[in-house]
Amino acid sequence: MTVEKLLEHGFEAVTLPDPEREIDGVYIGDLLSWVMGRARSDNAWITIMSNMNVIAVATLADTSCVILAEGVTLPDDIRETAEAKGVNVLTTQLPAYEAAMVLSGLLK
Amino acid sequence: MKEISLNILDIAENSVKAGATLTQILLEEKDSILTLSIVDDGCGMTPEILRGVVDPFYTTRTTRKVGMGLPLLKLACEQTGGEMTVTSVSDTVDPVHHGTSVTAVFHTDHIDFTPLGDVVSSIVTLIQGHPDTDFLFRHTKGESVVEMDTRELRQVLEDVPLNSYDVIKWIESYLREQYGDF
Repeated sequence: MTVEKLLEHGFEAVTLPDPEREIDGVYIGDLLSWVMGRARSDNAWITIMSNMNVIAVATLADTSCVILAEGVTLPDDIRETAEAKGVNVLTTQLPAYEAAMVLSGLLK
Repeated sequence: MKEISLNILDIAENSVKAGATLTQILLEEKDSILTLSIVDDGCGMTPEILRGVVDPFYTTRTTRKVGMGLPLLKLACEQTGGEMTVTSVSDTVDPVHHGTSVTAVFHTDHIDFTPLGDVVSSIVTLIQGHPDTDFLFRHTKGESVVEMDTRELRQVLEDVPLNSYDVIKWIESYLREQYGDF
C-alpha cells in the first residue's frame, strides 16, 4: 500500500513529498534514539513527537512516513524541512494503538 | 537515549575525534538540578560550524546526512525544562586555548527526566577505546564526590597501557567503590 492511500482512511497529509512510497509494516515509538536503531526501512512510524529530530530520524531509519497520532501537528519550519528532505508526514486524531489497528487492516 | 550515560559516551567520542588530549566529564547534582559538562581541548569549531551543531541534519561524519549526538542531548534536557549550551574556540582562531564545552542542565524532578544510567560503564568504555588520551571524570552531590583522573593513573602506571585488562578492571571497581558511599 502506498502512503497516499492513507488519505482515504481518515489520515490527513501534513506534507507528502513522496506520496507513492510503499508502506511495509508499522513501528510505534517516541524515544528517538530507540526508534533510530529499531524502526525498519519502509515502516510507517507512529509517534507523538513533533520536533526537528523526528524528521532526521525518519531520514536515518528510512521510514516510508511519519504518522503523528492524537492530533499532533508540525510547526511550519519543521513541515518545510520534512518537505525538503522528502519525508512524508501525516496526522490523525487517533491514538497510536488505534491508528496501528487501521494500518493493520489495510496492510493485510 | 534511554539513559544520560549513553549521551555522555556519544558527546565524549566527539571530543576524542576533535583531537582532545584531555576530556573532562563533570556531573554536578544540586537539589533537583543535574548539570552535565563535557569540556575538551580539541580542535574546536568555527562560529559557522557551531551554529549548525544542534541541527540534526548537520554532521562531522561523511557517512550519513545527520548527526544526532548533540540534538538528542538538547532534546533530553529540554524535555525536563532544562537547556543545553555549547561554546567553542577553534584552533584556527586561538592556537593555544582551543576546545569545546557542552553543558546540559536537567531538572531531575521532571517526569520526562531519563535516568543517569550506568555512567561507570560509559567512562570505562571511553578509556578502553582511547587509552592514549586523558579523561577527568568528576561527579559531585553535596559533599559526596566520585573522581578519577587518567593523568594521575598514568604517572603511577608508567608504561602500562590504560586499556590493559587489569587496569580497566581496576578503574571500574575503583569507580564503583566510590559510588558505594555516594
